[in-house]
Amino acid sequence: MNEEKKIIHYDALVVGGGIAGGEAALNLANSGYRVLLVEKERSLGGKMILLSKVFPTLDCSACITTPKVSEIARHKNITIFTESEVTTIDKRSENDFVAQITKKPRYVHVEDCTACQLCEQACPVSVRDEYQQGLIGRKAAFIPFSIANPKAAAIDIENCTLCGACEKVCPTHCIDFTMQPEQFELHARTVVMATGFNLFDPLEIPRYGYGQHKNVITSMQMEREIAPTRPFNTILRPGDGKVPDKIAYVLCAGSRDASVGNPICSQICCMYSIKQAQLLMGALPMADVTIYYINIRSFGKGFEEFYQQAKGMGVSFVKGKIGTIKEKENGNLILRYEDISEGVVKEAEHDMVVLSVGVKSNPDAGKIFPQGALKLDPHRFVAQTDLMGSPAKTSIDGVFVAGTASAPMDIPDSILSAGSASSEAISYIKQHQEA
Amino acid sequence: MASKINPRFAEELKQYGSVNFNACYNCGNCTAVCSLSTPEQSFPREMVRLSALGLEDELKQSLKPWECYYCGECTTQCPQTANPGELMMSLRRWLTAQYDWTGLSGLLYRSLSFTIAALLLVAAGVLLFARSTGFDAERLIHVGHLFEMLAIGTVFLVIFVPNLLRMWYFTIVKQKVRVPLKSYFSALPELFVNMFTQKRAKDCDEDDNFRWLEHMVLVFAYLSLLFTTVFLNWFGSEHLFVILLGYLESLLVFVITIHFVSGRIKRNKSLNKFSQPSDWLFVIWLLLMGLSAFLVRLFIDLQLLENNIWMHILHLTVLAQWALIIVPFGKWTHFLYRSFAHYFVKIKTMQEA
Repeated sequence: MNEEKKIIHYDALVVGGGIAGGEAALNLANSGYRVLLVEKERSLGGKMILLSKVFPTLDCSACITTPKVSEIARHKNITIFTESEVTTIDKRSENDFVAQITKKPRYVHVEDCTACQLCEQACPVSVRDEYQQGLIGRKAAFIPFSIANPKAAAIDIENCTLCGACEKVCPTHCIDFTMQPEQFELHARTVVMATGFNLFDPLEIPRYGYGQHKNVITSMQMEREIAPTRPFNTILRPGDGKVPDKIAYVLCAGSRDASVGNPICSQICCMYSIKQAQLLMGALPMADVTIYYINIRSFGKGFEEFYQQAKGMGVSFVKGKIGTIKEKENGNLILRYEDISEGVVKEAEHDMVVLSVGVKSNPDAGKIFPQGALKLDPHRFVAQTDLMGSPAKTSIDGVFVAGTASAPMDIPDSILSAGSASSEAISYIKQHQEA
Repeated sequence: MASKINPRFAEELKQYGSVNFNACYNCGNCTAVCSLSTPEQSFPREMVRLSALGLEDELKQSLKPWECYYCGECTTQCPQTANPGELMMSLRRWLTAQYDWTGLSGLLYRSLSFTIAALLLVAAGVLLFARSTGFDAERLIHVGHLFEMLAIGTVFLVIFVPNLLRMWYFTIVKQKVRVPLKSYFSALPELFVNMFTQKRAKDCDEDDNFRWLEHMVLVFAYLSLLFTTVFLNWFGSEHLFVILLGYLESLLVFVITIHFVSGRIKRNKSLNKFSQPSDWLFVIWLLLMGLSAFLVRLFIDLQLLENNIWMHILHLTVLAQWALIIVPFGKWTHFLYRSFAHYFVKIKTMQEA
């Protein structure tokens, strides 16, 4: 390992390169501050870049995200570290934050890679493609996904057999297995935490049979199936590749559920499920789509109209939380629930079930600061110490929070929150500037 | 028909052991995960709703609380930790109090001090009686035997018959169920099958039939011990078969109840997490019944009883408390009400069919 630590200086550190972190970085950079944007994944864009369309406008998500990500990547005031992790941040005094950053090796020199994909073709190793949510496979030498940024190959060293096939075919000789992790010590004047959220893991609810029943998928998997960069070019159920014609949505899968330790509402599942239902009605005009819900929470601008529109399109809405999901031999699924409007327990058969998984906090945010200096709320989101007056403020002066790191929220709210965090950060730098 | 709402119902039900049911947000998960819930009989969410609204009359007319055998799945899976399982349990206690014309059931469920006072009163009565006989073993055994027979007859005629009639009135007459008399006969198998096998409890916990089996063995052991002591006069019998039978039955009773008590102490299941005084009383007294009967017979066989008459007085005290408090007004009654509830449900379905 390369023990030599490089010391670097920036005005602002933004932790997390999703839509909130990207927006905050852009605002800071456009105001003339030099920003280091640290992303743990291989591409910028977070979860939004993987989505199909956005509610309630049905705009293409990638068409909004990709230009924004390019702008971030090309900005002269922004430096991007992908596959990197901020291990600690120490506040020495006002305007003086010292962060330790580890940059993992990609085994590809990004600046030389032309994304020709010859390495992908040569690589003999197939593994599940995490960016396509495991629906299809990918190689161990691969381009993460077609609209990734940076668009460059990467080596998945965990699964690589070190056969060297990719290295031989690479026309620019950019593959380099001698790359080592790099350590950086960053000095920055302010920090924006945009560490995002984790999706609820449906394996925690065994009665829904995720991982056992082949045709039970998560909403993120469905999101990939209907995205422009989708894996199958149509909607297929994973069990046997049949085009489904009776699809069920199970809302509150891991939200508003104290029995799995997440009693709060995820705020987005009702709307993204309604959005997916509308897209499915378009993609599969003959299919029936039923949404099983506890309450439909269509509280935002244009949301209620969007919900009514789905009803008008013929999406069925049934009030009643799904209790259990059982699999039939033909791969169809039996959903047991109480139809609340009648007070009667019922069973319904569907050929594909989508679990509308909820939003969970990413508690890593709290681990970065020593001695729990960054306070988390009871659900382990970053605590907002002045929620009403200054929602971007955290328990540490000079550290601000953007997007879903603070609470579940939708895309417009994440971007608003990033705007608030970046302007708070600028005003913090200005206030503590040496005269 | 206008519904009467009792806004204080939640407070009242709390005295019967309900926990947090007002947290319910009406998702129906409890009903959906319940293995006994059917399209014809969907519960427990409806019961939670009625309780939250304080619709006492509807609750009184419902048989659904008796359909539940408390596997605890609804409580484990409840997203609001509203504990529907314990609500069903407390409704059964509350219903027991509603059916009881004397009102003593309710008093015993709601007040621990009243329960203790009643137990002490009965104990004092037994001691006074024992003193009046001059602590004569033979006489005590004889009177104890007579007392058992008398108690069974009286409790049945004075308490159970009127209470079951009241239950019938609330759940059948008030619900305007009209069936020919013939249905009451043709539904009878439902009553006896459920009374002696609790066959629905077997479907309750799908993976674990042990609880059902254990409970059924206890019911049989208890009933046959009753029969052996009352009609075969176990304590006075000379027949080896009767003597051994009695030993076996009383052994089973106290061994199984020791297991039940330890479960409640360990709180190892949903069912055992919120024990009320009435639950403790029932299971501990049943344990003491089995154990003291076993020891009395053992003392007789070892010819120790003459000099250790306290053993029999102890047994008589437990017996009297059991027969005068727990059987007519306590948890014992679930044996009757549950089986009659299945019987009445069957009668209702006959009307619908």
